[in-house]
Amino acid sequence: MTKDDCQRYLEDPEANAAHLQTCAKCNAEAIALAEKTDVAPPSIDLDALPLAPWEGSSHRAWPLVLGTAAVVAIVALALLDAAGMSPLHVVEGSLASMEAMRTLLNRAASSLRSASLGAQVAFGAAFVIVNGLLIALLRRAPRGIDA
Amino acid sequence: MPRTLRLFLPPTVVAASLVTAMMAAPFGSDIHTPLSFADATTMLQKTAVTVALLAVWMFAAVALTLLSGREIRYSSLEMRASALHCFALGLVAVTSFVLTAIVFSYLIPYHVGVPLLFALGVFAILTKIYGMVAVFHAVGTLIAGSRTRDQLAGRKWLRGDLAMVVIGVVILGAIRLIPVVGLIVWSLTSVFGIGTALATKFGRREPWFLAYRTAES
Repeated sequence: MTKDDCQRYLEDPEANAAHLQTCAKCNAEAIALAEKTDVAPPSIDLDALPLAPWEGSSHRAWPLVLGTAAVVAIVALALLDAAGMSPLHVVEGSLASMEAMRTLLNRAASSLRSASLGAQVAFGAAFVIVNGLLIALLRRAPRGIDA
Repeated sequence: MPRTLRLFLPPTVVAASLVTAMMAAPFGSDIHTPLSFADATTMLQKTAVTVALLAVWMFAAVALTLLSGREIRYSSLEMRASALHCFALGLVAVTSFVLTAIVFSYLIPYHVGVPLLFALGVFAILTKIYGMVAVFHAVGTLIAGSRTRDQLAGRKWLRGDLAMVVIGVVILGAIRLIPVVGLIVWSLTSVFGIGTALATKFGRREPWFLAYRTAES
C-alpha cells in the first residue's frame, strides 16, 4: 500500500472508501474515529490483506521434517560407509580445520608482533575503524515487521 | 545514515568483500574430473563429509527452530526486508571477528588473550549457527512459502516454520554439493546469516546499545 493511496483517502474518504479494505493502518484510524463519533466502522475484508508472516507458522509438519532428516542422515551414512570413513572422521576433520584456523591466527599475531611500528599502528587503526563501523551499523533498528 | 558512516561504509564493504573472497577462494579445490582411482576416492570422501555436515545442520536447524521459532522468523523477515543492510553488517562483522581474533591472539602472552579468544570463538560460532538457520528459513519461505491464505489453507505439509527451515536446508545443501559454486554460496550465506543475527540481536529485536537521554528530555 503506497502513501499516495493513503493521502488520496485522507483527502476524500467517501470517494476512496474502498481503500479501507486494503489498508490496515487507515482502517484502524477510521475505526478509532468512528468510535469517537459513534458511527459504525466499515467492515474490513481480511482476505484482501497480505498474508502475515506468523500465519500458519506454528504448524509442525512432522512427516516432512522427520522424513527429510532421515533421508539426509541415511544418505550421509551410506556415503561415509562407501568412502570407508566413520562419523568420527567428520568430527576429527572439523576439529582439524579449527586447529588450522588457530595456527593461522597465531601466525598472524606473531607477524604483527614482529612488524614495524607503522604497520602495528595501521593495524590498530583498521581495528578501530572496522569495529566503529560495526557499532554504527548495529545502532540501526530492525525494520522487518514495519517493512 | 550519518555522514561519517556513509563515508566509511563503501570502502569497508569493498575491503571486507576482498577478505571474504580471499577466505572463500577455492585455491585448493580440484575442479577437474577425477583422473585416477585416488582422485575419485578423494571426491567421494569430500562428498560424504559434506553430506554428513548437512545432516548435522539439519538436526541443528530443527532443534533451534523448535526452541525459538519466533526469533528465527523475525530474523528471516528482517533478512528479506533489508537484505543489503544484513549483508553489509555481515561483511563488517566477519572482518571485525578476524581482526579481533588477531588482536586477542596478540594478547595471549599476557594471559588475558586466551579467555577473550575463547569467548569470541563461542560467540562467533553461535552467531553463525543462528544466522544460518535464519537464512534457511528465509530461503525456504522465499521458494516454498505460501503467498495467499487459500494456498496456506490448502497445504498439508509445506507450511510452518519447521517446514520452511527444512526446505531451506535441502536447497542450500544441494547447492553446497556443487564443487566451487557451493563453497562460495555457502560463504555468502554465512555472511548474510551473521549479519541477520546481529541486526536483529538474535531475533529479539532489542537495541544493542542503550540510547543516551538527558534529564530534561
